[in-house]
Amino acid sequence: MIDCREAVRRMWPFLDRSLEPHPTEELETHLETCKRCCGELEFSREVRGMVTTTISPAMPDELRERVERLLATVRDGGQGR
Amino acid sequence: MVVRIEEVTTAMLEATELPDGTARVAPDRPFADVVHEHLDRLYGYCVHLCGDLTDAEDLLQDTLVRAMRSFDGLRDPKAARTWLFTIATNCARDRWRARGRALDTVPLEAADPDDDFSLFTTIAIEDPFPYSDELHLDFLRLFGDEDLHTVFAAMTPVFRAPILLTTIHGFSCKEAAAVLGVPLGTLLSRLHRGRKQLERGLWVYAVRRRLVTVSDET
Repeated sequence: MIDCREAVRRMWPFLDRSLEPHPTEELETHLETCKRCCGELEFSREVRGMVTTTISPAMPDELRERVERLLATVRDGGQGR
Repeated sequence: MVVRIEEVTTAMLEATELPDGTARVAPDRPFADVVHEHLDRLYGYCVHLCGDLTDAEDLLQDTLVRAMRSFDGLRDPKAARTWLFTIATNCARDRWRARGRALDTVPLEAADPDDDFSLFTTIAIEDPFPYSDELHLDFLRLFGDEDLHTVFAAMTPVFRAPILLTTIHGFSCKEAAAVLGVPLGTLLSRLHRGRKQLERGLWVYAVRRRLVTVSDET
């Protein structure tokens, strides 16, 4: 049996689906009898969801234009070899 | 030496060897197509990694110039995203090293001060919204994207990068380990510490900005 501390340690890998089968089974067994960890898992899911959906800052137009000029340079000078 | 986009010359593009001395191999897709496909995500990664818009702009430029020089070495088009993010990470590492900072330095505390912190428990105990039916969700609703970016920026880089790669940009743990150049076990350990640091960061941010009222600052 794993304790709450270990269960919490495994929650984000579990949510990421990157936890191996045996540790997953141990976590699920723990969750069957631990109401507090069930709440922690649901909250971890919400925190993770908030981070996952955070919007990356939009690229400034001026920077995008400079990148486009670089890519044009590559097209004109580098890809025609 | 940093080469800015404006300083790129045709000669750079026409070198017959890659930086590691191997001969160039013509890729299947034009460089521009690969960059366009990943550009916005790559810029977002640079912003979150640097925590500063000006630094992020320079990092993106470094990344694209370095990628352009080694593009012919990209033999697997499906690996383009991992390849670009790896270059961005390496560029960030070099930039920070030049400033006497480090991307990979793990704090030397004997014990992780955040390991026992639980945001879930802290919210339950502090009860910052006494009349709420959704206490924990109401706490998370305090955070807009700008707030979250500020919390990310305050994190230790070595713990921030794994979260950015896996949770925001969707890399698997194995892929993220490859991007960062660390063993999988190291990645998983840093990911855990990063999540704990993020949780504490959210709480500290909310308290300091007085988004929540608590009896005593945690």
